[in-house]
Amino acid sequence: MNTDLNSKALASVWAPAAQQLSFRKLMTAFSFPGRIETMTPEIQNKDFTVLRMILATLTDGEVTVADPHHMIDDHDWSKLETNRETPEKARFIVARGDIAPMFSPGLGSLECPETGATIILRVEHLGRGEPLVLRGPGIQSVKEVACSGLGAAWLCKRQEWNGAFPLGVDMILFDASRVIALPRTTRITTKEGKSWDM
Amino acid sequence: MNPYYELPQDEAGYSFGFLDEYAKREVRRNILKAICIPGYQTPYASREMPMGRGFGTGGLQLTLSLVGWGDTLKVIDQGADDSVNAVNLRHFIELTCPGVDTTEQTREATLIQSRHRIPERQLTNAQVLVLQVPYPDPLVVVEPSEARRKIMHGEGDYSRLLTKLYEDIVRFDEITISHRYPTRINGHYVLDPSPIPRFDIPKLNQSPALILFGAGREKKIYAVPPYTNAEPLAFDDIAFRTEDFTDEQGRRRSCHRCGATDSFLDEFTRDDGVRIYQCSDSDYCNQGIVAHILSAGEAAL
Repeated sequence: MNTDLNSKALASVWAPAAQQLSFRKLMTAFSFPGRIETMTPEIQNKDFTVLRMILATLTDGEVTVADPHHMIDDHDWSKLETNRETPEKARFIVARGDIAPMFSPGLGSLECPETGATIILRVEHLGRGEPLVLRGPGIQSVKEVACSGLGAAWLCKRQEWNGAFPLGVDMILFDASRVIALPRTTRITTKEGKSWDM
Repeated sequence: MNPYYELPQDEAGYSFGFLDEYAKREVRRNILKAICIPGYQTPYASREMPMGRGFGTGGLQLTLSLVGWGDTLKVIDQGADDSVNAVNLRHFIELTCPGVDTTEQTREATLIQSRHRIPERQLTNAQVLVLQVPYPDPLVVVEPSEARRKIMHGEGDYSRLLTKLYEDIVRFDEITISHRYPTRINGHYVLDPSPIPRFDIPKLNQSPALILFGAGREKKIYAVPPYTNAEPLAFDDIAFRTEDFTDEQGRRRSCHRCGATDSFLDEFTRDDGVRIYQCSDSDYCNQGIVAHILSAGEAAL
């Protein structure tokens, strides 16, 4: 691999090569729910944040984004060239994990479940805090992942939203440098086996 | 493809991987949704590619959206790295993706694009398999309306498909689907696993590698995530069975090149009329021969 070419091509989160690398990390995260993926340590320049990298990789003018907790700055909105929407209608929702959700995201329809929202949630720390026990596709038997700064309300609501497969929402949880993904098929319990029934 | 042909990259400004970034981003978004809803055919705007539809444009669009510097790509067609479709697709990716290595060895590849076979060697969780699909929907044989098929898929209603299998048993004493065998993923969606032989269906079940399917003409992407249940449709009293490679004496036929008795075999007729069998997976066959030579060398020492 040509390292000069590589470092030049990865100079910004807006560069195609950076987004390809970032997508592969996200795809691995979705393929293996609960696996902590460090987002592109190759791209450590001043415009890098995990949220900006995720949004640059996945969103453009063809989709809608909701930002109920005002986490995307105006400069990023103009760079993303995406469309603002309310959380009820948006395909991507950016939110804080420590604030309980006050909206009902789109869950898709029976014919088109892919229109269910992707929720991009900021948490405090992945790998530290309350352990979550995950089961489902992409997990060989059981996967444990710790996460702090994720309110129980989110897990309750997630359970409710994902109650009728194939409808549901998919989640990306991120901290300062890493991500995990929770597709709608992942079942989450606590270590004691408790789930988040309402 | 003309071996002297070169893409006019500087003049035309083709981006890495031929597709524009908007096209890649759309494919990528749909790949993630396909993984989240195992077996569901996610619609996407399949782009025009510089080759005819039916030659693997769906698989190619997936590969071009995935591939990047540091990847090692293997392209196979019916198990072989050296058949026309595989050679042309590999050549195209080499032209449009500078910095991507290509290989013919399954174990070296990070990304494998395949037409009609899953490699014999078990894939790892660091690999991704992309399959080219001509017909993504298994319900098309029993329901012509796509709108109604989508509802049937959503409800997990496959009774008409099971009736078709039952009718096969009544008329022929066995299920006559030889390839594209309908397979239920994670207990809900039934997918068409592309024209892989029945022999490869068990490899979908609990595969350590992510398996992606791209249908360019039909504009669908779907996925079998790693470690996911994949059950071929069958009945309690009529079990699913794979191709039978036993000869008249009841022995498993072997590959005439490498001697393997555990691989999917292609049948050839030699010039003198004798039937011979050979591994369909050319890398697996070559590795078998290398292993024989090495063990013979050690024995001689």
